[in-house]
Amino acid sequence: MAKVTEVVLWDRPGERVLLLGNHAIARGALEGNIAVFAAYPGTPSSELTDTMAAVAKKAGVYMEYSTNEKVAFETALAAAWSGVRAMTAMKHVGLNVAMDSFMTASYMGVDGGLIVMVADDPSMWSSQNEQDTRAIAKNTGVPVLEPSSVQEAKDMVKYAFEVSEKYGQMVILRTTTRSSHMRGDVVLGELPEEIKNAKRKFGNFKKNPERYVDIPAFQRKKHPWLLETIEKFREEFNESPFNWIEGDENAKVGIIAPGLSYAYVKEALAWLGVENVKLLKLGTPYPVPYGLLEKFFDGLERVLIVEELEPVVEEQVKVWAYDKGLRIPIHGKDIVPRVYEMTTRRAVETVAKFLGLETPINFEEIDRKYEKVSKIVPPRPPSLCPACPHRNTFYAIRRAASPRAIFPSDIGCYTLGVLPPLKTVDTTIAMGGSIGMAHGLDVALNGVPGEEERKTGKEKKIIVATIGDSTFFHTGLPALANAIYNRSNVVIVVLDNLVTAMTGDQPNPGTGDTPHGPGKRILIEEVAKAMGADFVKVVDPYDIKATERAIKEALAVEGVSVVVSRQPCALYRIGQMRRKGEKWPIYHVIEDKCTGCKICINAYGCPAIYWDAETKKAKIDPTMCWGCGGCAQVCPFDAFEPMEEGE
Amino acid sequence: MREYNIVITGVGGQGILTAANLLGWAALRAGYKVRVGEVHGMSQRFGSVIAYVRFGEDVYGAMVPEGKADVVLSFEPVEALRYINYLKKGGLVFTNARPIPPVQVSMGLATYPTLEEMRKIIEEDFGGKFMAFDAEELALKAGNIVTTNVVLIGALTQTPGFPLSAEHVREVIKVSVPPKTIEVNMKAFDLGVEAAKEMLGL
Repeated sequence: MAKVTEVVLWDRPGERVLLLGNHAIARGALEGNIAVFAAYPGTPSSELTDTMAAVAKKAGVYMEYSTNEKVAFETALAAAWSGVRAMTAMKHVGLNVAMDSFMTASYMGVDGGLIVMVADDPSMWSSQNEQDTRAIAKNTGVPVLEPSSVQEAKDMVKYAFEVSEKYGQMVILRTTTRSSHMRGDVVLGELPEEIKNAKRKFGNFKKNPERYVDIPAFQRKKHPWLLETIEKFREEFNESPFNWIEGDENAKVGIIAPGLSYAYVKEALAWLGVENVKLLKLGTPYPVPYGLLEKFFDGLERVLIVEELEPVVEEQVKVWAYDKGLRIPIHGKDIVPRVYEMTTRRAVETVAKFLGLETPINFEEIDRKYEKVSKIVPPRPPSLCPACPHRNTFYAIRRAASPRAIFPSDIGCYTLGVLPPLKTVDTTIAMGGSIGMAHGLDVALNGVPGEEERKTGKEKKIIVATIGDSTFFHTGLPALANAIYNRSNVVIVVLDNLVTAMTGDQPNPGTGDTPHGPGKRILIEEVAKAMGADFVKVVDPYDIKATERAIKEALAVEGVSVVVSRQPCALYRIGQMRRKGEKWPIYHVIEDKCTGCKICINAYGCPAIYWDAETKKAKIDPTMCWGCGGCAQVCPFDAFEPMEEGE
Repeated sequence: MREYNIVITGVGGQGILTAANLLGWAALRAGYKVRVGEVHGMSQRFGSVIAYVRFGEDVYGAMVPEGKADVVLSFEPVEALRYINYLKKGGLVFTNARPIPPVQVSMGLATYPTLEEMRKIIEEDFGGKFMAFDAEELALKAGNIVTTNVVLIGALTQTPGFPLSAEHVREVIKVSVPPKTIEVNMKAFDLGVEAAKEMLGL
């Protein structure tokens, strides 16, 4: 095992290493001589962004954590318009944020190669939907590359830069949670001299308003260009090293497998012991190259398309086949699941069904036996960490505003506040959505000043929104301006843990750090004041009573109140303390004082605290306590005390 | 060898991904094709975690299919049971015996099965072999509780049919861990090997 940030910089062409898909893409970007990388972190794309941040200075690459995906896209686009190679990375829903610029940029093309890496999340391991970026790309007219292995994830980057420059159009590199988060063996390629010598590459922007200004008169001329260009990619992809036909060339049945589905189909065929099948491996799910289809379909009597999520390849193949007058059965979503991720089991079941075979093991029998297991295994959803400041803030909010208040929240670790016992999250929709929802609820339930029927006093519904620091800067700002401008009467609690925690502790404007040294720190309370919030206060959530008081004060104010609850992310803080060899207090339960009231478990819910069924008392797992002392504050009997130090 | 499949389970924060990565490098250094599957993000926040390590001449996908794991290596007992559908008939379960009760159990909303209940299901219904031992105690004996994952890896190398030699895996761990921690890690590895030998009657 070697350090990833060293491996991606190794000048050892030909060496075989083990890399995560996202790390391999970072290596590919370096091998492809990238100049500018800008991204907002989002699982499952974040490790690419963090690796680029870690190596940027050593490789002479400009890298920034942008405040959101749209800004990141624009930063990268401007670099590409200046003739240097650029890349941005985001999770699938991040593309929705960047969409406004992305859609229009597709008409305008690029000079330097531009790669938009988008990581989809089939099965929604850490996302709110399972939208398929390939379908969006098809709607836009931008080509998509999708790897079937970690090696391809790396190799596709350089290729993507090359074809992007050849046709002057940006290219999407689409991964999924599985391809981004799988490790595989990778053979390293050559690094360019500029990367090895950390030589920063600057661009040259040549004015050309007809191209770079998107007024209708200019754009009308470019839409045909977009459509012509995608057909050129279709032609090019006949020769792409990531597309090929393999298997039995005299076979009567064929399978088409794009992206990672190729890996599952290969495994399924081997497991089923099937050899008389022709296989079309596609690394370019859009546009599907017709020349290869022509060769592939020759002699086939039945075809199956195995792909995850939407029938993007299937629809292209069926349109092509119809136009060709081909009338052989082409199966796809009639037997391949359209929801959740592809797996070997799914590929085996689908291929077996298509070929009229039995599966090599009886999966249903395993499922039947597992039913009994699923009934007795206690659930273990992810939870807020021990010492997480959000837990204390949620606890204080519930006490200050009553559990009957309405709690719009946002995207971050704190979304876990929806789970018992905290239950302080009533709505979430998208990044920055909490403030818009809070305002909308106030309008829908209470009315605003100036409306005669406006609800006041006991009739008024209390609304307390929560939003993280990074999310606040991402898309919370316009929503806050809207709420203040339209005279909302809500409390907005900014959970400021001084880091973009959920995606891996990235810096943001609230921390002020950048990969290239100190940036300029922006204080959330100063922003709120400048925007005209009616009440602004900063509190430390490790003081639960003070936090509760601040929220009560905020509730008493007419208008928009902003409470900044500031305390570093516990996971981040403990990690830093461990590295520095620092110690922290560990709390224990004084058995004589514990009455077994369970407030610490049923209302506060720190994962370090558990119930000892034998003694009927609370206990603390010393290996999990990170010493915030919240338990000591919520316990009415002073049963928690710091006893020793952890390290 | 066509493929060898390991499923690693436990609770987020226990060092599961590190163990998977170490085993992946050990297999790579032995010349095999390797796939390691993991899930990041929310699942690391004290939730249930599963990782997959696959290697051999013929591996493609990163996930071990149900019914195909040669070994389930678990950092927490009930997490072995949660993913028992991955174990092949005749496969082996090595688990750290110390439970971490989920919050729902403490709240009285769910119960935690006993080790004997788990053994019964794993052995009778799934035809597996269940071996629970206190890996954390051995890690503490080695000098640091964070070496629990190395204790478990040590035990894993003693599985009958395990394709990598204990000496090779030990060497990979030795060059991978921070220099200051080599001694504790090597001790942890050896204690895991010993414990497994005893349990397996080797």
